[in-house]
Amino acid sequence: MSRLAAVVGIGQTEYRSARKDVSMGGLVNEAARRALEDAGLGWDDIDAVVIGKAPDMFEGVLMPELYLADALGAVGKPMLRVHTAGSVGGSTAVVAATHVTSGTFDRILTVTFEKQSESNAMWALSIPRPFSMHLNAGAGGHFAPHIREYMRRSGAPAHVGPMVAVKDRKNALKNPLAHLQIPDISLEMVMESPMLWDPIRFLESCPSSDGACALVISSEELATKGPNKPAWIRGMAMRSETMTCKGRDEVNPLAGSECAKDVYAQAGIGNPRKEVDMAEVYVPFSWYEPMWLENLGFADEGEGWKLTEAGETEIGGSIPFNCSGGVLSTNAIGASGMIRFAESAMQVRGTAGEHQVEGAKMAVGHAYGASAQFFAMWAVSSEKP
Amino acid sequence: MNSPEIMQEDFSVHYTYTRSTGPVIGDFLTALRDKKQILGIKGSDGRTLVPPMEFDPITTEPLSEMVDVSDQGTVTSFCWVKNPIKHHHIQHPFAFATIRLDGADTDFIHMVDCGDEARISVGSRVKARWADERSGTMTDIVAFDVTGA
Repeated sequence: MSRLAAVVGIGQTEYRSARKDVSMGGLVNEAARRALEDAGLGWDDIDAVVIGKAPDMFEGVLMPELYLADALGAVGKPMLRVHTAGSVGGSTAVVAATHVTSGTFDRILTVTFEKQSESNAMWALSIPRPFSMHLNAGAGGHFAPHIREYMRRSGAPAHVGPMVAVKDRKNALKNPLAHLQIPDISLEMVMESPMLWDPIRFLESCPSSDGACALVISSEELATKGPNKPAWIRGMAMRSETMTCKGRDEVNPLAGSECAKDVYAQAGIGNPRKEVDMAEVYVPFSWYEPMWLENLGFADEGEGWKLTEAGETEIGGSIPFNCSGGVLSTNAIGASGMIRFAESAMQVRGTAGEHQVEGAKMAVGHAYGASAQFFAMWAVSSEKP
Repeated sequence: MNSPEIMQEDFSVHYTYTRSTGPVIGDFLTALRDKKQILGIKGSDGRTLVPPMEFDPITTEPLSEMVDVSDQGTVTSFCWVKNPIKHHHIQHPFAFATIRLDGADTDFIHMVDCGDEARISVGSRVKARWADERSGTMTDIVAFDVTGA
């Protein structure tokens, strides 16, 4: 990174199964307005807008960024749309921040959203398209074999996935914005829920949510001029690999681990397990917590599930994962990655409320997309390097 | 040996998207359906924007002052569709036109159904032809008819 950049404003909508009270424009405007308020800025203070969402088929509006320009104060300003499937929320934050670190702009508004109530993601993922591999059963059906293979390799006991499902839903109870609020969630409830794609049960899956998330990212000079504490971006990276290639490991993708290593190197993190205070990691199906614990270098290969089982990923554990409730509690697909990035920034700003990790100084936000082949990640800190 | 019976079935994938229209576009579509009324909205610069916009294009502030405009107006530009395809709403030659409705400061895009290209020109006066059964969509206006030169 050439220049320093920081998150100075964060805005999220409430996440619900259906926000029928607002249009797509109304939804993104709500998040953007909250981010500007947090940053103490107006629309005129923004140099450019970077927007992200899941593929257009998900709502059937082609190039929605064009018609959303009015709702985001982007008329007459540079506007860019980022496309990286489910990781798009993270990639969009990285692209936006890069426009600041490169010196191109001083203040960027970046917004991601999904309005899943206007369509059906499972359907959008399942239609055959020419010259593409056919994902027959949506995301869950696609990832179930990867999870089975993880269980086979690691020997992880069957209750580890359900433990993640319970932990993240308990965290969601501390986050008023989170979509799923299940006060009586328990291991029994999860294990008795219907099996959707063996070994993934209903309550081990993410919900389908409406919502938007926005960030204001500023240059170093402007970052300390706002009313609230900045979250300094210490490292950020994106990596991708093709869906099918010889030697590709879907369980522990090289692109994911390389992405994490790059971020740690930029941030000066030698031992992530010790030096990272919390992580918001893209876990749409429970078993992705132990899988990503390993892929992101928090545990050795085959050992991730032991951290989950020992409670180390709970708030109060040595490496809390998804204190906000994570993707398992809110999945407004296009926004889901950015919510991870935003929540990590909230933690180091000390503004996470009831789900705050006490004294968090260094946090990681992570997103993955498509067939576990697109990765985006950043490390943010309360401390300026 | 007989070949095994192959089960087969025609399958066409389709899905109906839904829309949450929000307060402004919602009011606009409801007025088409219930009152055969076209609504505009006052922008921050005093212009009447038709169809109404949810957010002001200059200030980004939410807009709310709805204004009734006429269902008659003047053609400001048009494109003659000589060979409609099956997806067009009108199956004989027609025009897509920008229409400045009386009382509006911006142009509205719709179809003008006048049979012959010679019957339409920039400056033609047109009037909305309303559907008998309306559902709160743009096609509640079937098309515009030419009423004068």
